[in-house]
Amino acid sequence: MSLRTQRPALRRALVALAALPLLATAACGSSDSKDSASGGQGTCEKSDGKVELTYWSWIPGVEKAVAEWNRQNPDIQVSVKSTPNGNAGTYQNMSNALKAGNAPDLGQIEYDSLASFRLQEGLTDIAACAGVKDAEDDFVKWTWSQVTFGSGGEDGVWAVPQDTGPMALFYRKDLFEKHGISVPKTWEEYYRAAKKLKEADPKAYMTHFSQTDPNWFSGLLWQKGATMFGQDGDAWKVDVDSPAAGEVADYWQKMIDEKLVATDLQGFSPALYKAWNDGEIATWVSAAWGYSTIRDNAKATSGTWGVAPMPQWSAGENKAGNWGGSTTAVLGRSKHPYEAAKFALWLNTDPKALEILNREGGLYPAAVKGLDLEALQQPVDFYGGQKIFDVFADASKNVTTDWTFGPTMTDTYRFMGDGIAGALGGKGTLKDALAQTDTKTVDSLEKQSLEVAK
Amino acid sequence: MTADRTAATAAPPTKTTTAPAPPRRKRNWAPAVFLLPFFIPFVLFTLVPVGYAFYQSLLKTERTGGTFGRKTTVFAGLDQYKEVLGDSEFLAGVGRVLLFGLVQIPVMLLLALVLALLLDSTVARLKRFFRIAYFVPYGIPGVIAALMWAFLYDPRLSPVVELLDEVGSAPDFLGSSMMLWSIGNIVTWTYTGYNMLIIYAALQAVPGDIYEAARMDGASEAKIAWRIKIPILRPALMLTGVFSIIGTLQLFTEPQVLRSISTSVTSTYTPNLAAYSLASSDNYSEAAAMSVTLALATFVLSFAFLKFTGRKDGS
Repeated sequence: MSLRTQRPALRRALVALAALPLLATAACGSSDSKDSASGGQGTCEKSDGKVELTYWSWIPGVEKAVAEWNRQNPDIQVSVKSTPNGNAGTYQNMSNALKAGNAPDLGQIEYDSLASFRLQEGLTDIAACAGVKDAEDDFVKWTWSQVTFGSGGEDGVWAVPQDTGPMALFYRKDLFEKHGISVPKTWEEYYRAAKKLKEADPKAYMTHFSQTDPNWFSGLLWQKGATMFGQDGDAWKVDVDSPAAGEVADYWQKMIDEKLVATDLQGFSPALYKAWNDGEIATWVSAAWGYSTIRDNAKATSGTWGVAPMPQWSAGENKAGNWGGSTTAVLGRSKHPYEAAKFALWLNTDPKALEILNREGGLYPAAVKGLDLEALQQPVDFYGGQKIFDVFADASKNVTTDWTFGPTMTDTYRFMGDGIAGALGGKGTLKDALAQTDTKTVDSLEKQSLEVAK
Repeated sequence: MTADRTAATAAPPTKTTTAPAPPRRKRNWAPAVFLLPFFIPFVLFTLVPVGYAFYQSLLKTERTGGTFGRKTTVFAGLDQYKEVLGDSEFLAGVGRVLLFGLVQIPVMLLLALVLALLLDSTVARLKRFFRIAYFVPYGIPGVIAALMWAFLYDPRLSPVVELLDEVGSAPDFLGSSMMLWSIGNIVTWTYTGYNMLIIYAALQAVPGDIYEAARMDGASEAKIAWRIKIPILRPALMLTGVFSIIGTLQLFTEPQVLRSISTSVTSTYTPNLAAYSLASSDNYSEAAAMSVTLALATFVLSFAFLKFTGRKDGS
């Protein structure tokens, strides 16, 4: 109607409008070439004079640890910005800030996202910085292999390990007792326990199978030793759909098919917390930090939970997976890598800092000495006075070291989550999800122009 | 990028194009000055980002050496568009929102029209109250509305589901087969009042003597509505139709929020979610190509709709 009756004046205006974006692109285009600070074994020089560093982190109460550092180091002042969780927007902001050239000097990055950030040239190699290489023995072994990408430091050190998420089994002691179920030591026993529970109480589930926690599922693969990625010379090996991973997928598919696990509960959702409080869910295979998730969200169940080692694939084994945990990384364009690395090391090895981070943020330390923290030797009231951290300390030592995260992990997790949605909705299986994730991940690596070994 | 329905509807470009330039008058700069407050933000926050997205969509990443390598960005022509058009999940997402639009838009506009006609009829009481009451949902931020509905849908938390279960059995609102329509319900709830207001405003502009004349000729209220009001409302209905098409293709907030409580929304559920996911995994170029494709599709559909509905005008 009115649009069709418009005549040349309008058309001219429209043409002018259409041309504007082109001007804009010309202006934006020139700023795109960049040289990055990553790669190679550079030097790491001390800066002159007083240095001010910026740091992004989402650990509750981290500012108290930073205040302690600032008190001890008047020449290296750190200002911390409290951000949402990495995947809740902070990684996106970091990527954008890196692109825009105003990223902080230091950032909290989880193990599974380190490779992505290195790929974006968002990390600084701090191997040459004072004290970094010597710190290797200060950390639980597998964490060091994560921050050096399995190279033992030959290919640089790209972050300082901070905390970990060794996995164990949280279970409802009261429900187990009521139905005469003993604590499962193997996955086979876990399956039988699930069946027994279902027979005793048709409304109860052994656990929930979340769709938005593909990193939980990869923790299960980790325990099995089914690493999703590997490196083959200069090429990446994608091994998501390995036979070992297939076994894990088949196992959980059986649990889904027989309706032994709840498929309509999203991880960390209010509905899940209600189900916990109502005693509808009997176990959760989760990480050390999960103790506070249950404590804070299922208050009604105080005293009824216990913690046992993760069920094993073969009886007598003692393997654990890992879910979550993060590092402190010096970001790509920091002008003061020496000072930043110094702070990162202090934050994650100094007994006082570890104590603060554990007390305020509930961090389970990656530092070997951190496992001896006073707070981690105490019985925990919510868990009926059990010394639950003893279980996690063992788990931490039993996490397999040869696990590699891929460089496009966000994509890989996304594909896995989408595949899991299908499996939970009855369209396809978890094994299909693995196969899809495998193919699509290869595709996504190729889109980033990375070489993939066939 | 962040395509929210409110954002999409906030700046209707058609408004500026309807100012006719009367002939036989000296060049008058006053209109241009009045246009500036709209025009400057429009250029800065709409045209420039679109232009930049288009530029980004023509690039791709290349690397040299090692498992991580050094990154360079090179010109790739329309390669990214090939990727987008060959992406079966993106296309499935487009199909999903089209199906959504085919069902949800007519339902919503019909509701809005009926409500507007009721408010405008002579028998209506408490007009001011109802006008505001219907409009209130639009004033609630999309994320909050979606969260609220998520709780109402969840079988473990919702009193509604519990009630439905008491009298029979409640559908699985958050399951994969119902999800699209659960979202449709939220969107309808939010935007019906908004569309009603546009239609109602158009009705207010109609001079009362037309109705009076019709009544003199013995037309009933229903007949007046059908024969006079609805034809007069055609432009308003078209406007709301176009807004709704744009909003539908850009569905984002509702599915994204529902992801936190339902296990059946994938990362490519709607085209905008797909573009968002790509951008989150450092594939800005393909995400940009996806966004541009989506914008083009929106234009094409909107203009097709205008042309289609305009033809029946008979003028």
